[in-house]
Amino acid sequence: MAKILIVDDDKDFVSAVSLVLKSNGFDVAIANSRQEGMEKFDEDNPDLVLLDVMMDEPDDGFVMAQSLKKKVKDIPILMLTSIGQVTGMDFDKDSEMVPVDDFEQKPIMPNILLEKINQLLGK
Amino acid sequence: MQIIDRQKVNEQINDLKKKYGDDRSALMPILQDLQEIYEYLPNVVMQETAHALGIHPVEVEGVASFYSFFRTKEKQGKYVIRLCRTISCDLAGKSNVARQLENELGVKFGETTKDGKFTLEYTNCLGMCDQGPALMINDRLFAKVDPEKASQIIADCRRDFLKSDFPKVVPSDVKKAGPILDHGLKPAEALKKALGMSRSDIINTIRESGLKGRGGAGFPTAVKWQLAGAAKGKNKYVVCNADEGEPGTFKDRMLLYEHTDILLDGMTIGAYAIGASKGFIYLRGEYLYMKKYLEEALKNRRSENLLGKNILGKDGFNFNIQIRMGAGAYVCGEETALIESLEGYRGEPRNRPPFPVDTGFQGNPTIVNNVETFIDAALIISKGAEWFNEHGTEKSKGMKIFSISGDCRHPGIYEFPFGIKVSELLKEVGGEDAKAVQIGGASGHCISRKDFNRTIAFEDIGSGGSIIVFGPDTDMLQVARNFLEFFVEESCGQCTPCRDGNPKLLEGVEMLENGRCSVAYLNELKKLGETIQNASKCGLGQSSPNAFLSIVDNFKPEILGRVPEAE
Repeated sequence: MAKILIVDDDKDFVSAVSLVLKSNGFDVAIANSRQEGMEKFDEDNPDLVLLDVMMDEPDDGFVMAQSLKKKVKDIPILMLTSIGQVTGMDFDKDSEMVPVDDFEQKPIMPNILLEKINQLLGK
Repeated sequence: MQIIDRQKVNEQINDLKKKYGDDRSALMPILQDLQEIYEYLPNVVMQETAHALGIHPVEVEGVASFYSFFRTKEKQGKYVIRLCRTISCDLAGKSNVARQLENELGVKFGETTKDGKFTLEYTNCLGMCDQGPALMINDRLFAKVDPEKASQIIADCRRDFLKSDFPKVVPSDVKKAGPILDHGLKPAEALKKALGMSRSDIINTIRESGLKGRGGAGFPTAVKWQLAGAAKGKNKYVVCNADEGEPGTFKDRMLLYEHTDILLDGMTIGAYAIGASKGFIYLRGEYLYMKKYLEEALKNRRSENLLGKNILGKDGFNFNIQIRMGAGAYVCGEETALIESLEGYRGEPRNRPPFPVDTGFQGNPTIVNNVETFIDAALIISKGAEWFNEHGTEKSKGMKIFSISGDCRHPGIYEFPFGIKVSELLKEVGGEDAKAVQIGGASGHCISRKDFNRTIAFEDIGSGGSIIVFGPDTDMLQVARNFLEFFVEESCGQCTPCRDGNPKLLEGVEMLENGRCSVAYLNELKKLGETIQNASKCGLGQSSPNAFLSIVDNFKPEILGRVPEAE
């Protein structure tokens, strides 16, 4: 079964999403910071990463996405964030600065999340 | 009365529109040039400017009345004398110079002589704190002025002969250089290296270096650049904050003049990293004498393809820089107020969020960095992150340029690592017998001898580089008065705690001076100060009571129970 790494400092969000993913048959790994996320990525070798933007630093998600793509070029990254609502900032995919495969706003409905994940995993 | 030909005004405005553009952001430079022509801004000039830019005349008057360098009521004198009243010049004998100027001219401050030759004004910080008292006549600076010299300068002006010991750009007194000031880099060296790197690698190198904003707030530079780089937007902007208005700060004046190319390299690298095609240097009005010099430097860089299209052969990388002059408003050092000013509005800080990295100049992603930050960024790209972060502390990496003035034997510009103890710094500058030290300018904190073993670093006492030393004979209540007068004058007036709170604190200082302040009322004033800190909208308001509060805390026995001289 596909393994998904969730990197997010919002523990409530992480527990809700892992519940949804596990009940749909995915293996789940969890990290609450960029640093922990990079370690878990090396340990768990996930098939897809769900990534938050603002963690310890406001740009942690972007930095991590860049590092991940340098390590494994085709690792699918789905960026989930509420940064737009919190700060009014408007970001989009960009191969250099925001190298993610898709971008979704929080909160997200479970069925849409699953649909996006399956789409990115090529199912 | 001057008769002004409306048609001629319109022709002049049309020419200026061609030079500066025809949108609202051209308002400030157009008004500055028109004031140069008419020596003030008559109503008809403001009205025609408003029509030409498609805005209401009240908007133009609102802007002109906000900035202290614009005159809307009366014609200014041929020579506008602006005497610095900041604390460092005050300690160096400003009051005697002021009295002598009034005696020579027969007018008070704020007035113009009847023959229309002289206007006498106070100004806040000319960036000459180590060479005070300082004054400025039109765009010419005079340092170390005493009453006799003041009289001589007036006599020279009367003969229309401005004689000065100083060249137009007054040399800075660098007392201690380190790896930053002795960088040994050639112009464009850092830029060439940067253009061979990817945008994300540039930002990652800055991140690894741990560089934090040198203006004082200490926001991580890489985060700012990364967010602006990631933000959606076709037009992105790079702004160099050269509005060095914090009393006691003069290091940017030196950096702008002596390290111009490295600064411009830093701005261009920033533009490449975030994807910007236009940049501004927002130069404070008091540094007008530096404008021509900087314009010349920009022109040279354009001719060498270090600015312009496809810079150094990098396809698609187009970037240009314009200089925009401030007009005597301290609050414009706050980045959102600076952006408002660039857009042609009153320099009133914005609510945040949204942040400038996403919604900056004209709603576009914008990075605003201090002069020193851009220089550090260029050096980091050239010499590597490790070269930079081998100095400093865990949370405050690198070397810092300090402007040191006041009661010390060797005032001037110093380069020290972050984490230096106040006592070590005082030893270096010859201020061991100091009674107090103001760290971070008027908005910083005033510490007493018991705290001299503390360190200057973002995790202890943060600073944008202004250090003012107070000797054993300094009256600390006078220091508090000077800083509060500064904030009362410089508050933009937008929010109540800062606008109405600071005059109340100043009134409290007057009560203390007259020995008429109870401890209970002083405690109320402290509470008011804390409210100003918590409830003000921008950094200026939030930090305005700092000096007062720290002086009350550290020097209570000295300021209570005074007996006025008259009694």
